[in-house]
This record gives sequence, C-alpha cells and structure tokens, in this order.
Amino acid sequence: MSAIVESSTDSLSARGTVRRRAPDKRRVLKKRLMPWLFISPYLVLFIMFTAFPLGFSIFLSFHEWNPTSGLDGMNFVGLTHYADIITDPWLWKSLYNTVWLAIVAGVPQHLIAIPVAYLLVSVFKGALRHFYTATMFIPFITSTVAISLIFYTIYSGNSGILNQWLLALSDVPVIGALFAWVPDAMPIRWLSSSALIKPAIAFVVVWKYTGFNIVIYSAGFLTVSKDLYDAAEVDGCSAWQKFWHVALPMIRPFVFFALTLTIIGNLQLFEEPFVLTAGDSGGVAQSGLTASYYLYLAGWEWHQMGYATAVSWILFLFIAVITSVHFYFNGRKGMGGDR
Amino acid sequence: MASVELVNLHKSFGTVEVLRDLNLQVSEGEFVALVGPSGCGKSTLLRILAGLDEASSGDVVIDGEWVNDLSPKERNIAMVFQSYALYPHMTVEENIGFNLRISGIGKPEIRRRVGEAAQILDLSELLKRKPSQLSGGQRQRVAMGRALVRNPDVFLFDEPLSNLDAKLRVQMRDEIKRLHQKVRTTSIYVTHDQVEAMTLADRIVILDKGRIQQVGTPTELYRHPANAFVAGFIGSPSMNFLDGVLSKNSKRATVSLADDTKLRFPTTDNLPAEGNVRVGLRPEHLQISKGGKGENTLRGTLELIEPTGAQNLLKVGIAGQSLTAVDNTLAELSINQPIEFSIEADKIAVFPPN
Repeated sequence: MSAIVESSTDSLSARGTVRRRAPDKRRVLKKRLMPWLFISPYLVLFIMFTAFPLGFSIFLSFHEWNPTSGLDGMNFVGLTHYADIITDPWLWKSLYNTVWLAIVAGVPQHLIAIPVAYLLVSVFKGALRHFYTATMFIPFITSTVAISLIFYTIYSGNSGILNQWLLALSDVPVIGALFAWVPDAMPIRWLSSSALIKPAIAFVVVWKYTGFNIVIYSAGFLTVSKDLYDAAEVDGCSAWQKFWHVALPMIRPFVFFALTLTIIGNLQLFEEPFVLTAGDSGGVAQSGLTASYYLYLAGWEWHQMGYATAVSWILFLFIAVITSVHFYFNGRKGMGGDR
Repeated sequence: MASVELVNLHKSFGTVEVLRDLNLQVSEGEFVALVGPSGCGKSTLLRILAGLDEASSGDVVIDGEWVNDLSPKERNIAMVFQSYALYPHMTVEENIGFNLRISGIGKPEIRRRVGEAAQILDLSELLKRKPSQLSGGQRQRVAMGRALVRNPDVFLFDEPLSNLDAKLRVQMRDEIKRLHQKVRTTSIYVTHDQVEAMTLADRIVILDKGRIQQVGTPTELYRHPANAFVAGFIGSPSMNFLDGVLSKNSKRATVSLADDTKLRFPTTDNLPAEGNVRVGLRPEHLQISKGGKGENTLRGTLELIEPTGAQNLLKVGIAGQSLTAVDNTLAELSINQPIEFSIEADKIAVFPPN
C-alpha cells in the first residue's frame, strides 16, 4: 500500500513535468472524414434507391396518379386511398389469401426442414453432407418464375404430369383403392378451381424454400457442442430424446431467425401466385390473389399508383404487426439468451 | 460402487493407434487418476469406459460384468466433462434432475434427490438459475451434481478442472476429494496435471503414446519411477536429466558427467548396462553446498533465479547442460556466480539413454 502512495506522489505528472504535444490537425481531420468517404458510395445508392423511394411512396399514397400522365397528373387526395382500402373487398380477400398462404406454405417448410437438417448433420459427414445440402438448396437459387412455369405445366388439367400420375396410381393394385376417386374427378383443375389454387401455390412455395431452411437449421445443429450429445447419452437419452430435449432447444435462435424470414417472405408472396394464375387478377374468384399481387395490379395494370402505394404501406404495417407479435412471444428465447 | 477392469484394450482410428494392449484393474471405491501428456489416449480411454466410443478390441468389465455392448446408461456410470456440458436451456435443477426425468422417475422423487445433491454441493440457492448465470466453479459443481444424483457405480471425470483458474482449481480439487471420501464411489479421473493426480488419487496410471508406463501410488511413482518418462512427468519442478557414462561393480556404481564430475552410489538390481546413461536428479534433492570436497558434488554457474515466495528456483549451468534446483533457504545469490550442489547417493536415479 505504501509503495502505491509513494509512486503516485513521485510520478512525473504529479511533479508537473509531463510534456504535451498538439496532434497534427490534418491527420485528425483525415481521421474524421475517412469513414464518411468509405461509406459514401453506399450512402449515395441508399439515398437514391431506398430512402427517396420510401419517402416518395408516402407522398404518393396521398395522391391520385397515373404514371403515364407524367408528374403533372398528380392530384392530392389526402387520406382518401386509406379510407377506400377499408371498404375494398379485393384487398381484404388478398390479405386473407396472404395469411392463408403464409401459414399453409410456411409451417410445413419448418416441420420438414428441422428433422431433415438434423438427420443430415447427425448421419452424414463432410463432402456427402455438403452434396445433399447443396442439392436441397438448388430450388432456392433457381428462378421463381422458371419454377412456377414448370409447376404450371405439371398442374395442367389435361396434359399435366400430376394428373397423369394420379391416374396411374389408381391402376396400381392395393394402393389403387386409395386413388379410386381419381378417374371420376378427372381432369382435376389445380389452377382453375378456387378450392385448389391456394394449396397448389403453397406446395410450390414449400418446395422452393424448404432447402433454404434446411441450410439454416443444418448450420444451427452444427453449432451444438458434441459434448452435449455425449452428456445426453450418458444421461440415458434415446436418439429421439437427444433431438427433442437437447438439439431442438439449442437451435431456438435459428428457428426464430428462419421463422422471421418465412413470415416476412410469405407475406410478400408475388411471383408464384402471379405465374400460376397466369397474371389473371389472382385466378378464379381471386383465390390466388395475394397482397403484393394486388398492389401490382393496382399500380401497373390499373395505373393507380397512389392507391397501390397506400396498399403497400398497409401491407408494411400488417407485416410489422405480425412480426412484432412473433418477436414479443418468441424473441427472448429466440435471441439465444441462454447460450 | 463397482470394480472396473480393462483387458487387452486396443483402439485405433484408421491407421493411428491410440491405445495399445491396455490392462488395468480398479478396485471398488478406489480413486484412480489417468495422467499423461496431450494425445496420450487418456480421454479416449475414458470415453471407451463410458460407452461413448467403442474399443477396436479388448474388454471392459464393470462390477464383474462384460459391458462392451452396453450403453452408457446401462453401464450405470456418470461422467463429468471438461466443458461441463450443461444444458444451457435448463435451470440448475433441471440439469441435475434431467437423467432422473429421462429414466421416468416421479417428480417428487426427482425433487428430493436433486435437493440432496444440491445440498452436498452447496447449490441449493442456485437451483432456479440457468448455467449462463453461474460462475465457472458453480457450473463445475452442477456438472458434479448431475453425476452425483444418479447414484452411479463409477464416476468418470474428464479433466473437470482444466477450465478453472488456479485458485478455484485448488478449491474444487479439495471438494472433489472430500466428496469422494464421503460417497466412496469408484472414480476414474483424467488429467494432464500431475499435481492434481498426485493430490487426488489413491493410484495413478501414467499413459504415454497409448501405453501404460506405470501404475502406482503417488509416492511409489515419485520415489521409484519405472522409466525416465515417469520420472520426468511426476514431480514439480520436473526431474533434471544429465547425460553420463555408467561404470559399476557388484557394490558401487559411478556415473561420469561431461565435466568429469563423478556421482557415486550403491549398485542396485535395476541399474542399466554400463555405458551411456541418463542421470535423473530431482530439483528438490539438490542442496546448495560450499567448498564441498565430498562425493556427489556438482559445480556450475548460476544462470537465473526465479523467486516463488516460499522458495527460489535456480537455473544452473552444469556440465554443459541446464539444471533446475529448488532453494528452500532463500540464500542471497547473484547471477553468474559459481555455485555447488550436493546430492545424497540414494536420491540419484539412472536410466538407459534415449
């Protein structure tokens, strides 16, 4: 203790003999400006293509505007668009379809991806696992339009391969009994029946995005320490118990992340329903009309840009509310607080 | 409590042999430490014992029962992992009681047994906490509680203290020893820290390159090491080795060092053949002497002094090699001064050359 007191009273600063040098002003200025210089390319692009359109879309939502009439054709209408939206049956129908598809096309993606990823990680090693993961990822990186066009032909009533398979299955001994109803129902019109169009779209979405979730969950399962599985084995866990009690709770942050992406992505579904309904106002009785599809119709088919931007802001609020509810209920555990 | 026996155990990963012809018997209630440098196969041996890995050949016998094909649970062993391997999403209570829950034991019974284990390990106040809210020492105790609660036949410890700081390690070492004295469960403890092994174990198994080098009590290993590896591994600071030439008759043996120093001692049965040898001198057996004319005096130059408080570690250049000596007298010495050491004849160990 005495040594510490001694050194503090004897130090150079205590005796006032410490010299101070002013830093080079040019260097200080450079240090301050340099970060801005480095981020300026991004900032310029962000302002041009994100911030300005965002602000402009709010402005536009209070106007009536047909883009073919030029900027002069813009008329201020105040909150009229928002008032109209409340009574617009197509919008409510599109929101209903969007939520239906978000759930029916969302939940199976995860119910399939989680066990498949667990099997991939626990059964396959090295290059083989990468090969299988990459194979399952291919639908995700393939053009949605191309996929939707292929499914459009698969779903075709008369010549589609799906109906041909169902017919063939009805002829197979034993299991044919399960498909005995098929010949009478032919041709099954997957894309032009209001009852079947949403399930048909949902299947394409599940097929396309499950691989992406498998990659996320594989990454999650790979982060679980091997010691935990060993400890579970010593504790007497079966393979299922190891999955249920150890692996699954450990990937909560990944489930949370993947669910968030699915919610946001599925509430913005556009390409799949658009191509599968041939861009025809959402198909029979607007059964395949999603909110994004609707705002496209309003803006680019009917040239009501102001109304379309108002719809897009309503859709934004809708997604924000649902995501907030998801964060509220799952956020604490999902953010990985225990890890 | 159960005895453990390993018979001709062999393990290889591809072409790499990790364990070779290993035979070991652990009696009921005994505390055995497996010690060796990194990669010597001690953790692999423990995993084979636990049933987490399979041996390439050989048998594992627990309590007189051949258990090669049994799962860890069926072997009724408990294991404490180096990383503790606590389930981060479960509370302390759930962690400790997890194996009971998996076994289908009722909630009141689980609560009672978890409570008992928590009391023994002083965890009662922490039962509702998650592992992330615990210190390293507390996590370590939870890991022990998880093992303790199931009343296993054998405890397996895989370097359980290596993630703790030096002070906590000593404290936890005492707790493990006290716990073993209380429950007397057969324990097999893997460590690379020979001090930990010496202080905890009834018997120590020294492993190197997959082979058992020596099995014995801490004192046996210290006093009568079977080879230079064991001699160098046991003892802190570790034994000094000097190259020399051995000559002997039926009564007396002499080792001549490079600087012509002669070390003389009585001939024993286990001395190596005449010729080049390695002489082992423990740092704590080297006594500073002055003007020594007697036998077994080594002369050199003091190169470095490392004070540790209770003693000084002296690095000395002798016969062209560097030696460590322990100076308990805390003598006033200066660097580069000539220095002499004497050693008693029965403290000189001689091993065959490398």
